[in-house]
Amino acid sequence: MYNLFRILLLSDLIVCKRNFSFNSVCLGFFLVSACFVVNAREVTAFDVTNVSIDVRIFKATGNRLLLGFACDEGRSHAEEQTAAALAAGGVEVWMPDMLSAYMLPNLPSSRHEIPTDALLGLIEKALATGKEVYLIASGKDTELVLRVASVWEDSHEKPLSGAILLFPRLFKAEPVPGVIPEYVDVVGKTKLPLILLEGERTPNRWGVKSLSSQLEIGGSQVVSQLIPSVRGYFFKRPDANRSEEMATAKLPDLIMESLLKLEHMHVKN
Amino acid sequence: MLKTRLFILLMMLLSCMQVSATNLKIFKGDDQVPALQLQDLQGKVHNLNDYKGQVVLLQFWATYCPPCRKEMPSMNNLQKKMADVPFKILAVDMGESRAEVDEFISQVKPEFTILMDPEGESIAAWKVYAAPSNFIIDTQGKIRYTLYGGVEWDSPEMVKQLKALVVTQ
Repeated sequence: MYNLFRILLLSDLIVCKRNFSFNSVCLGFFLVSACFVVNAREVTAFDVTNVSIDVRIFKATGNRLLLGFACDEGRSHAEEQTAAALAAGGVEVWMPDMLSAYMLPNLPSSRHEIPTDALLGLIEKALATGKEVYLIASGKDTELVLRVASVWEDSHEKPLSGAILLFPRLFKAEPVPGVIPEYVDVVGKTKLPLILLEGERTPNRWGVKSLSSQLEIGGSQVVSQLIPSVRGYFFKRPDANRSEEMATAKLPDLIMESLLKLEHMHVKN
Repeated sequence: MLKTRLFILLMMLLSCMQVSATNLKIFKGDDQVPALQLQDLQGKVHNLNDYKGQVVLLQFWATYCPPCRKEMPSMNNLQKKMADVPFKILAVDMGESRAEVDEFISQVKPEFTILMDPEGESIAAWKVYAAPSNFIIDTQGKIRYTLYGGVEWDSPEMVKQLKALVVTQ
């Protein structure tokens, strides 16, 4: 099924500017198919540090497991469709609902309230499957990934396999024009291989080089990539334009490609 | 003595109020002002050094930036209100295509100089990481203030503060 998605999406890309009706049919087929696959998820409650955390699990038979922070049940439909497509391609996806578990509102400041021990506990559960575990987060949630990766390295022998940072927003404070920005303290504290994905149509693209160099201070190998013609949070935007809808449909491919890159980086390290 | 202290305190308070009213922040970065030499939409090259003797509002903006779109009419008004003093607006587009900028201009109709930086060289040199990012450069070519985010550029407080910069040179 996943291979069929890929063929259709590639066709979609090739004809997107020339044949709108074929393009629409392809995209529609993908969305309908993805809806069927979404039903394949299950919700498992894990007891971690005496708190029950609901985790949406998209099971797969492959040896890779992608663990995403900090999902919020009911507000991540595009992520669910992406997770379903990835699972169809062999990547198991876990989406823990960290905010509900700790009764936190979906606010940037809530990320600081999520205990590191809970994140560590979930990683342990994920590793218990015997799969290679990769982390993923977007926006301000990327701070959680860097935080837990740093603590994990200090306290565990088995390494994680890498992390994908989708349009990371890691400024410590509002950027001041003419001054190199300061990043949150966890930047540069892990040696986990990192893929940094940023939208081309966001001012943050101009900070990718600066952020990458700060992340590398901890020993991480960092590979960055711009996603053409999209703004940040493109898959969550209610006003998404045609390019952003297309990029959302291609997100599973982009993540799969990133995992393959991380695998290579991991072997090198 | 007490009266003098109270007067100084009052002046300090007024000074703070003035800065917060316009959101302009006193620049505390490097004294070394980066170079800026870019083409406008007609192909004319603009060099920042050529504008010494004028107060310059140098803005880095993008078509996808909602505050940029919203504040540009107030920049048109600011230009009119500053017509009696040496003042120039240079607005650098952050690495977009000519087609994207042309479409934006046809809708928003900026009346000041738009510069193109397709490779983003000036963006890196000026350490710009967000849009809109603004620099207020005095008549000596020194950066005096910065401002991140949208603002009403034609407010009386803003005009007064920018004109004061001309007078104090």
